[in-house]
Amino acid sequence: MTQTSSGVTDTEIILGVSAAFSGPSRGLGIELYRGASAYFTHINQQGGISGRKVVLKTYDDGYQPDPSVKNTLQLMLEDEVFLLFGYVGTPTVTRVLPMLKKFQDRNIFLFFPFTGAQPQREPPYGDFAFNLRASYRQETAGLVDNFVRINRKRIAVFYQADAYGRSGWAGVRSALKRHGEQIVGEATYRRGEKFTGSMRKQVEILKASDPEAVICIGAYAACAAFARDAVDLGLRVPIANLSFVGSENLLKLLTEGQENSDPYTQLLVNSQVVPSYEETSTPAVQEYREMMQQYAPQPPEELVKEDYTPFAQSFVSLEGFLNAKLMVEILRRVGDNPQRSQLEDAVFSVRDFDLGIGEQVSFGPDRRQGLQRVYYTVVENGRFVTLDNWEDRFGIK
Amino acid sequence: MKIKKLFQKTRFGIFSLFGVISLSTSALCIYTVDTHLSEEYENNSKNIAKTIADSSVDILLNRDLAALQSLIDQFVEIQSIKYIYITDESGEFLAHTFVPGIPEVIRTDDPFKTEAIERNLPGMGDFVEVGSPILAGIAGTVHVGMDTGLIALKIQRAIGRQVYLICIILVIGFFAAIWLVNLAANPLGDLLAYAVSLAGGENRASDDKLLSRDDEVGHLAHLLLYVSKGEKNEQPDT
Repeated sequence: MTQTSSGVTDTEIILGVSAAFSGPSRGLGIELYRGASAYFTHINQQGGISGRKVVLKTYDDGYQPDPSVKNTLQLMLEDEVFLLFGYVGTPTVTRVLPMLKKFQDRNIFLFFPFTGAQPQREPPYGDFAFNLRASYRQETAGLVDNFVRINRKRIAVFYQADAYGRSGWAGVRSALKRHGEQIVGEATYRRGEKFTGSMRKQVEILKASDPEAVICIGAYAACAAFARDAVDLGLRVPIANLSFVGSENLLKLLTEGQENSDPYTQLLVNSQVVPSYEETSTPAVQEYREMMQQYAPQPPEELVKEDYTPFAQSFVSLEGFLNAKLMVEILRRVGDNPQRSQLEDAVFSVRDFDLGIGEQVSFGPDRRQGLQRVYYTVVENGRFVTLDNWEDRFGIK
Repeated sequence: MKIKKLFQKTRFGIFSLFGVISLSTSALCIYTVDTHLSEEYENNSKNIAKTIADSSVDILLNRDLAALQSLIDQFVEIQSIKYIYITDESGEFLAHTFVPGIPEVIRTDDPFKTEAIERNLPGMGDFVEVGSPILAGIAGTVHVGMDTGLIALKIQRAIGRQVYLICIILVIGFFAAIWLVNLAANPLGDLLAYAVSLAGGENRASDDKLLSRDDEVGHLAHLLLYVSKGEKNEQPDT
């Protein structure tokens, strides 16, 4: 096998992945990987890209910054992958970004990380990453705008005590400021908290601020624990979560073993950065559903050591699928003799590209984020569906 | 024997002297270690606060609070640093490491304070907090809290190790002194017994053990023997 460029051989293009495949947030890494894997498998079965198969070189970081730094060094210096793809989380990605700057002469870019934080969208590190999803700033602004519109102006924040939580907190603060409001209460939790942990202290702190809505910036285990304890302690206000939460895992924790889970789920509203996988009229969703069923992608066996039952469809795996679809398009545009130095131009050549979700994707030197739209979902009959009317669902009667 | 009594006093004197030396050295050591380490920890915290303040200027001006949080999260991993919070020029909290929330005592305190202050945070413990202004205070203030309980434990360990060493030196020194005293006391005891036996008229003229010594005891033994013989010669025949 001849290596023509770093991470590219005659038969393969190797992409480096570091994501959570263990720990309380493993569902995010696993689902994102599964969605991407479904599309890459499809492309590889069609003959690959210019005869080369797309291969994912994958490591587990458990959603912890230090392992993600170690994995990235391994991927960049030892494995010499073509590019970095599908990383999970803000605290991990924010630590990796300076490494990309350090090795900028190698032209290693990070593609489509599963985080909506600002550091990979702004100087000094924005030039080393390309994002597909809308930002947390856009998600939180959308949630705040909708809550304020239905007269729920007293907004509190429950967030993870790290860069991800702070990013979302800053988004809520900034959006409220535009409306002349401020965060009425805030409570934090440590990254890695499990569903079995108690969030009663946090609920009590927020309850004391008498909020009309709570926006959670966290991962599914902690946010599910918070929603459970909020209901149990009588905090009956809408509880919003960002796309990163992992909606299906959140719902599973809140409904599993419950005779009547409605009290825990009827006040949930989750923002999403991809359309609902239930919208089968959307071409990319249809494609996604077919490929997930056809290929039944599994996470790397050697990385998954804890029990995990994958979902047939999920917002996270749909995002992974869309990431892979756009990645393939970019790799095609790089040409028959892929070089890292050609990647940026290939990305910038993507203009009004139809990903199949009804929103055109464009990139450019000043536009390093492909999608801008935010969707809102609520739980109906045990599954997340698109929220049509905020006033009806959450308006103050 | 009188000799033993004399050296018992010496031993007691040596023991007392070593005790006084050990106690005073330990007291000085405790004071010095406590003062120096406390200052060291406080200075380290001030340096950390200043480092964060210096490196957060660009981040603050870019309003990238996620990067700011990431920065303080790295510093709070340092042992004994238990919390960090950053307030802006208006006193608003921009980033912090508190879980489950910012303690009321901090929320209501002066956010621009930079001198070292002692704090008791309910449910968290006792802390020394230092602050450092960002861009001379016009961009905000960084506050770093050190766990005084952890610092006290570290100081106690450092002092404990020094006092332990002093105690070992005391015990070794004491037994060494006793051995040295015994080295002098035993021949003197023998000499006293020799003198008593000569005075009692016993014939110990050939006590080689004492007479063969080439030191003050040997010389004294010879002198005693000589005096004893002279006394015998002066006695009239009966």
